[in-house]
Amino acid sequence: MTDTVTLDPHRNVPGVRRPGFAQTLRAEWIKFWSVRSTVWSIVALVVLGAGLTVLVCATSADDLADGSAGEAAGSFITWGMTIAQITAIVLGSLVVTSEYGTGMIRATLTATPHHGRVLAAKALVLTGTLFVVGTVTAVLGYLGGNWFLEREGIGLALGDEGVLRSLLGSGLYMAGIGLFAAAVGLLVRHTAAALAIVLALILVIGNMVVLLPGAWGEWATKLMPGNAGGVVATPVSFNPDLLDPWVGFGVFCAEVAAVLLVGYVVFRRRDA
Amino acid sequence: MIEARGLTKRYGDRTAVDGISFTVQPGRVTGFLGPNGAGKSTTMRMLLGLDRPTAGTVTVNGRSYADFPAPLRQVGALLEARALHPGRSARDHLRWMAASNGLPVRRVDEVLDMVGLTDVAGQRVGRFSLGMGQRLGIAVALLGDPPVVVLDEPVNGLDPEGIRWVRTLTRQLATEGRTVFLSSHLMSEMALTADHLVVIGRGRILADCSMSQFIADHAASYVRVASPQRGEVADLLRAQGLDVAVHGEELHVQGLDAAAVGELVGRNGLLLHELTLVRSSLEDAFMTLTAASVEYSAREQTPAGALR
Ligand SMILES: Nc1ncnc2c1ncn2[C@@H]1O[C@H](COP(=O)(O)OP(=O)(O)OP(=O)(O)O)[C@@H](O)[C@H]1O
Ligand SMILES: [Mg+2]
Repeated sequence: MTDTVTLDPHRNVPGVRRPGFAQTLRAEWIKFWSVRSTVWSIVALVVLGAGLTVLVCATSADDLADGSAGEAAGSFITWGMTIAQITAIVLGSLVVTSEYGTGMIRATLTATPHHGRVLAAKALVLTGTLFVVGTVTAVLGYLGGNWFLEREGIGLALGDEGVLRSLLGSGLYMAGIGLFAAAVGLLVRHTAAALAIVLALILVIGNMVVLLPGAWGEWATKLMPGNAGGVVATPVSFNPDLLDPWVGFGVFCAEVAAVLLVGYVVFRRRDA
Repeated sequence: MIEARGLTKRYGDRTAVDGISFTVQPGRVTGFLGPNGAGKSTTMRMLLGLDRPTAGTVTVNGRSYADFPAPLRQVGALLEARALHPGRSARDHLRWMAASNGLPVRRVDEVLDMVGLTDVAGQRVGRFSLGMGQRLGIAVALLGDPPVVVLDEPVNGLDPEGIRWVRTLTRQLATEGRTVFLSSHLMSEMALTADHLVVIGRGRILADCSMSQFIADHAASYVRVASPQRGEVADLLRAQGLDVAVHGEELHVQGLDAAAVGELVGRNGLLLHELTLVRSSLEDAFMTLTAASVEYSAREQTPAGALR
């Protein structure tokens, strides 16, 4: 029989000898930007996030100015982000679940058979993009919305309390909520299921736990991921009983990390 | 070289692969055969580290798949199910794969050219025909110019030209000293492509031998004899202890080659109209061997039977 032939795998195709995290990151970056759903989600995020902020500021500036709204202008200046988070959730979930839906995950893991590295690269591409896009969107919304507020003499300066924090916080929250959806995607491996779970948790259950009796309802409301994490993204919260911005964001990060950790364990253990 | 040792995979209480051991040597094409559900794809998925073996090991050149720093340079694989996002273009798919293993971008264009997809490289793969998808899968397998190539049903959906191309390609890869392991249900094609066979049924190894050995062992060839004196010829041959079966006007004789049968008949002054050695095919051998381990077989049923 033929002797074992050892072929130098670099003989015909030169390149990086020991590919590492940088290569995995580059691969995930190419993957991320080469499907239309990414572009559509990001366009939707910007349009909804900035557009709705401008819209609510434009329509309620006079009520805010004469006090008849009973709310602070700071609660409106990043308001669009509460709706824009839906697109961050869609994007985050798709980054994972579209791979399972199409069988792509097998190509991913044959190219890089290191679950942790793949997950870290995916998370970095997703959160990096969402942070930048989220922050830019919040700034656009602020510039547009503030123009209407200033006309009524209630404009907010960047230096005013919480304004700058809420703009960066919007980016942080978008990144966090997207990662949360991706982690849930790892657990359920199905786009519709992941979206249903996360959207229900953030938009429905988060607003209903207040119905729990007494301190239970109070604390459940404070701790629900959308409530805890969302405070950092607005200068003045509509609900004064929520956690302080950075405390809340810390709780939110811990929650995301916990779900991500469980997702990672499941990702490693289950067959692709 | 691929080595499986006691490789086992259970899904719940169903044993898909049942303690198989085999070696796939470099420098030749090894065919992986077995009826539907025999465990071929499962074995290949375990080889690629996608499914975790319940027991046993499978290694490529002595290492587990996950231990290769740049696996695409070591093992090129075409999986059974398409592992593609339909919304991504063929070039983008190859581009991210190349990037993941630190391969240069020019390699993407090389393999696209090799499989004949250059003109449609920018199209979304969701629009690809079955055969185009297979070609892209083969491009993926060749991307890292790997010494080990694993192809699960590579000719599935290819046109005759494509089938011939895969045959030439796999033979050439083996000639270059690479390890080539491929599964297929096309027996005639496998007979032309493979040198060695690993046959499994219900998750167990049924045969692991050379192609010629396999055919010789599992389907006897016979000599077809036609004669105006059929009865006398049959009696004569039976008297020699040969196995003679009557099929209409023909006799099928086993146990002696065509020349010997001809001489025997001639010496006894009988006439012959036809004398042909009929070699049995890989398909015959495969059917004989796997008859007992076919899991999903179609019931033979006539339309009339179905109506009754
Ligand atoms: N993920 C899974 N979960 C449960 N059972 C599975 C799974 N994958 C495969 N099986 C079962 O394992 C057995 C072997 O399947 P496999 O796909 O390996 O067969 P195969 O030889 O490739 O068949 P085919 O020729 O039809 O491609 C089958 O009975 C199949 O139902
Ligand atoms: Mg199969």
